[in-house]
Amino acid sequence: MRLRNRGRIHSLRWRLLAGIGAAVLLIWLLTGWFSYTKAQHEAEELMDGSLAQTARLLLAITHDNEDDLAELVPRLATVRGAEDIYEPPLEFQIGLGDGRVLARSPDAPEFPILGVAGYSDIIRHNEAWRVLNAVSTDGRYRVQVAQAIGLRDRAALEVATQTVLPLLFITPVLIVLIYLSISRALRPLEQLADEVAARTPDSLDALTTNRVPTEARPLVVAINRLFGRVARTLDNERQFTADAAHELRTPLAALKVQAQVALLSGDTPMREHALQQIAGGVDRASHLVDQLLRLARLDPLSSPPEIRSLDPEALLLDSLNAVRQAHPQATQQMLARIPPGAQALMGDGDLLGIALRNLLDNAVRYTPPASSIRVELAQAHGRCDLRVSDNGPGVPPAALARLGERFYRAGQAAGKGNGLGLAIVARIAELHGAQLSAENLPGGGFAVTLRGLQTQHPDEQSDKTG
Amino acid sequence: MRLLLVEDDTLLGDGIRAGLMLAAYAVDWVPDGKQALLALADHSYDACVLDLGLPGKDGLTVLREMRGRGDQTPVLLLTARDTAEDKIAGLDHGADDYLTKPFDLGELQARIRALLRRAGGKAQPLLEHCGVSLDPASKRVSFNGQEVPLSAREYALLHALISQPGHIKSRSQLEESLYAWGDEAGSNTVEVYIHHLRKKFGADFIKTVRGLGYQLADKNG
Repeated sequence: MRLRNRGRIHSLRWRLLAGIGAAVLLIWLLTGWFSYTKAQHEAEELMDGSLAQTARLLLAITHDNEDDLAELVPRLATVRGAEDIYEPPLEFQIGLGDGRVLARSPDAPEFPILGVAGYSDIIRHNEAWRVLNAVSTDGRYRVQVAQAIGLRDRAALEVATQTVLPLLFITPVLIVLIYLSISRALRPLEQLADEVAARTPDSLDALTTNRVPTEARPLVVAINRLFGRVARTLDNERQFTADAAHELRTPLAALKVQAQVALLSGDTPMREHALQQIAGGVDRASHLVDQLLRLARLDPLSSPPEIRSLDPEALLLDSLNAVRQAHPQATQQMLARIPPGAQALMGDGDLLGIALRNLLDNAVRYTPPASSIRVELAQAHGRCDLRVSDNGPGVPPAALARLGERFYRAGQAAGKGNGLGLAIVARIAELHGAQLSAENLPGGGFAVTLRGLQTQHPDEQSDKTG
Repeated sequence: MRLLLVEDDTLLGDGIRAGLMLAAYAVDWVPDGKQALLALADHSYDACVLDLGLPGKDGLTVLREMRGRGDQTPVLLLTARDTAEDKIAGLDHGADDYLTKPFDLGELQARIRALLRRAGGKAQPLLEHCGVSLDPASKRVSFNGQEVPLSAREYALLHALISQPGHIKSRSQLEESLYAWGDEAGSNTVEVYIHHLRKKFGADFIKTVRGLGYQLADKNG
């Protein structure tokens, strides 16, 4: 499971492995470098020590064999070191106090023996030498001991290599172990992924959190919360689809049955009746389809399609006239009330008109003849409320809370309306940032209010309308 | 045959009632579950057509309550929901059959015939007794092979008697199978139609049982 995106590795396992691998390599290199420098320093001190010891030894030998120098010199001239860092060859020259060389080892560099007593690094013929000049206490003899610096470096390198080399073999084992433990640590995440992948839209139960590592728990909690929301949305959709199916199929069934009755009945009045029912049924079905389409168009919106300043008087009176025309035989008294000097409303005129017409239409349908119906506007603090009220019988209290639900029909509306009118009003209110509230009035009657619509700021009025 | 129709939709209810009346059933129509239970308690129906989506008490609740109090009336469910769960729930609550909206009137009539047939313990679609045979599907009646034309009321009366030939039916039972609520029934209409039927199938075809009602003649009689 290695996902690459724009060159970045997104797999936790590989990122951890790369990070830990890089750290191990860095530590390994640091250890090597540190051992090398440390070993170099130690080798230098050790070898300086052996240079000093050899110098003192040679001086002592020379001093003690003053009488047999002729015999000693040829023997010393044959002393050769091994080409081995554990028996590092030391080159030497022995001379008199005045600088004359008495004897020298065969490979000794040809440095003048008269230098200052002490250690010095000398380069000759591309070869670096560590040189110690020493003088006997009485000043009669001089000794120069030299050792190739390259040899010391080789020794240091050997020591460093011995320290670092085992790590070279341990590292792959380490990487494999780290890989395995990362995999093991990530297994709950993989199980979680499998569990989520196996889900269908129908199984949106919460994931179990007890086996999930602490670090991943916030993720699981968030997923569970999302599952909950999706499940609720799906439930609502399912309910809506089922309700819509019911609402559409019933008028279709009615039309079909009425049409078949009209076809089958030989009786003229019965056929006439059925045909009239069909005509009425088609009107009702097309009204339902209109309302469903309206809701479907409103659903995806997040704000009204058009926000303009609206003349409240025109809005209220137009709605009232439209409802009067739709119900020419209505006997209810309908009136609009607008406070003097009302400010312009901000909103979508078509949608607010639909909302008012739906509310007025409901009032006309569900109040007894000769009731009175009012549509009014109230303004305060730059906000305004639109309210449609009547003095009819009201709505059963238990039904009040469910009034805006789609396809919900309460009281008298049961079996008649399609239960979408108030749902559309609620949606229009929501789009305008207003709240829909329905209440039974204390003195009898029913009122629906769109609360908190925006009004135009008085300063803007002249700019916009001008 | 008298049926109870429970349907809240005025247009559909009106259509079904008209369609069932065309098939010579007496139909009582109520718009909600509460009234359906009251009607079922007060009258005896040969079958009930019950919509599932009712306001207040829904169809399933009505079905559960009527079965709960031992009401055996055959029930045909009407539902707009066509998922298997809905159908299973309906049948398991005691429905005998169901139809999904929109449906064909002919199919509704046929399913009701089948319900009534099964309720009478028969698989044969033709109802026969003493040479009189009645076909509920075509509403044709024949006597000794000859087709006999009957009026809708005569047919309904014969159907009520011939569906349970051994039973004695009281005058009020027969009246109930002829008239739905709101139909005007004269005081002696049952006697009038019995008289018509005796004229067409012989005086012995229907026996009067004093004080109890009417019964079809014995098969060997």
